[in-house]
Formats: sequence, structure tokens, C-alpha cells
Amino acid sequence: MSHLLHMAQPAFVPPSSSDFFFNPAFGSSFLATKPVMLVMFSVILIAAFFTVSARKAAVVPSRLQFAGEMVYGFVRNSIGKDVIGEEYQRFVPFLFAIFTFVLTNNLFGVVPFMQFPTMSHIGFPVSITIFVYLVYHYVAIKKKGLGRYLKEMCFMPGVPKAVYVILAPVEFLTYFAVRPLTLAMRLFGNMFAGHLLLLLFTLGGEYMLKSALFVKFFAILSFGMAIGLSFFEMGIQCLQAYIFTLLAALYIAGALADEH
Amino acid sequence: MATTDDGAFWTIIAYLISGLGFWGGVGYLADRYLKTNFLTVVGMGFGMVTALYLIWVKFIKETPPTK
Repeated sequence: MSHLLHMAQPAFVPPSSSDFFFNPAFGSSFLATKPVMLVMFSVILIAAFFTVSARKAAVVPSRLQFAGEMVYGFVRNSIGKDVIGEEYQRFVPFLFAIFTFVLTNNLFGVVPFMQFPTMSHIGFPVSITIFVYLVYHYVAIKKKGLGRYLKEMCFMPGVPKAVYVILAPVEFLTYFAVRPLTLAMRLFGNMFAGHLLLLLFTLGGEYMLKSALFVKFFAILSFGMAIGLSFFEMGIQCLQAYIFTLLAALYIAGALADEH
Repeated sequence: MATTDDGAFWTIIAYLISGLGFWGGVGYLADRYLKTNFLTVVGMGFGMVTALYLIWVKFIKETPPTK
């Protein structure tokens, strides 16, 4: 079987992380690369969509207005209200911006001709995470003061005093390092892996299509997998946008909560 | 409710990572300092136990009524 594959053409080059780097479309600035342009496009797209959907707001909503309100309502009620509670209203714009931004950029991964989830470049998830990180620490310090915030964070009630020596550093590390790390890495990892998987089946299918007749049959399977996985990816992309926003809300809720 | 379950899940993961990371790190430094080679693993195990205890206190043990 393998000699059949190698007969006609050079060996298959599997997709790798180098497939995630693009040359600038023009000039030599990194600002002209595909991911950056996709991000800019996503901002325009989101702004345009929600401006248009809210412009002629009517009591009986048009289809577009309904779609816009559905997304907003989802973030406001299912994420903001349910998780943060009382003071949720002032965080809704923040959460809404995160959700729509991440969702749009994720979905670029399966949109024909774009086909690149921006969030599979670690820099983008990291920069959103920095915002979330600053917001939840700021909110907590403003509400409780730095001393009380740290005290509540590291010394939770219901534990014998001696154990604090063991637990406090773990809690501290969780709040200051692991939370932002996992937040960024989860989004990045999911998008990266998903895109790599789609690349593998597409490139593999293309390669097999050029091979011997017997192998061509398998190309159909490979392309079929790519299409199936695209739908699967779409689910993951929505889910990851949701989880990212949900966790941002949870961290804010934790920062606001009175533990004592 | 689904939202709190998701939150709990990721909180637990975060605790496990920091427990493993912190006490594993302490063990690693102790290994370096004492020129031994088993304290990293011991530290990691200890960190896991710590994290599990933390999770138990936070999620399973009944919290006393708040004042």
C-alpha cells in the first residue's frame, strides 16, 4: 500500500503549526497578515450587524432585530444574570463584546474562503484574557480593598489554621496564574487543534486524489470526514465562545461575592 | 444548572493544576537544592492531595451558615 502512495508523487507532508503563519498580503507589516485582517473584519462585521439590527428597533421585531436581540438576551440572561447576579447589568457590555468577538472569530474557521479561526493564534486569546484578568481583579480590589481581597482569596473559612500554609499558595496561584492561563490556552488549543484536524483531512484528501485509482476512493472518505468535522467544529466554536464568556463572568462573580 | 456545573468543572481543573504546579515546583526546587531526585514527584502528589482537599472543602463539604 505504501509503495503505491509513493510511486506517483512525493511523500505526504502533514499539516503543521507552520500552516498557521501567513505572509503579509501586501507590504511587509504583520498588520497585513490574514489573522489580523480577519480580526479587523470581525470588528466591522459585529459593529455593522448590531447597528443595523438595532437601528429600527420596533415592538414587533424584524428578523434581523430578533437575531440581534437573541444573542444579546442570551449573554445578558444566561451568562450575566445567572452567574453574576445583582450587579450584572454593568458587566453585560463587556461580556457581550467578548462573546460576539470570540464567536465571530472562531466561526471564521469554517466560513468558506476565510477558513481560519483567528483564535488559533495564541496572541488573540491572550489579549482578551488580559482584559478579563484586569477587570476581575480591579472589580474585587475596588469592592473589598486589596488586603481583604487577598485574605478572602487565600484563607477560606472552615479549614484548620495550620492547613492554610499548604492551601494559601495554591489558591493564590489559581487566582493569579492558572485562571488566566487556562482561559487563554483552552480557547487557543481548541481552535488550533480543530483547524489542524480540518487541514489534515482536506490536505490528505487532496493528496489521495492525485494518487493511484485505488487510493482515490479513500479521498472521498477523507473529504467526507472534513465536511462532517466542519459541522462538529462549528459546535466547538460556539461552545468555546460560550465557555470563555461564562468563565469571565464567573471570575467577575467570584470577585464580587462576599465569602464571609 | 448547567452554567454552575461548567464553572465548577473548570474551577476544579484550575485547582488541580495549581496544586500540582506549586507543590511540584517546591519539590523540584528542593530536589535541586538537596541534590535528590524524588522530591518533585512527592511534591506533585502532595499538590494533588492539597488540590483535592481544597475542592472537597469548596464543593462537597457543607459550608457552615454564613453570619
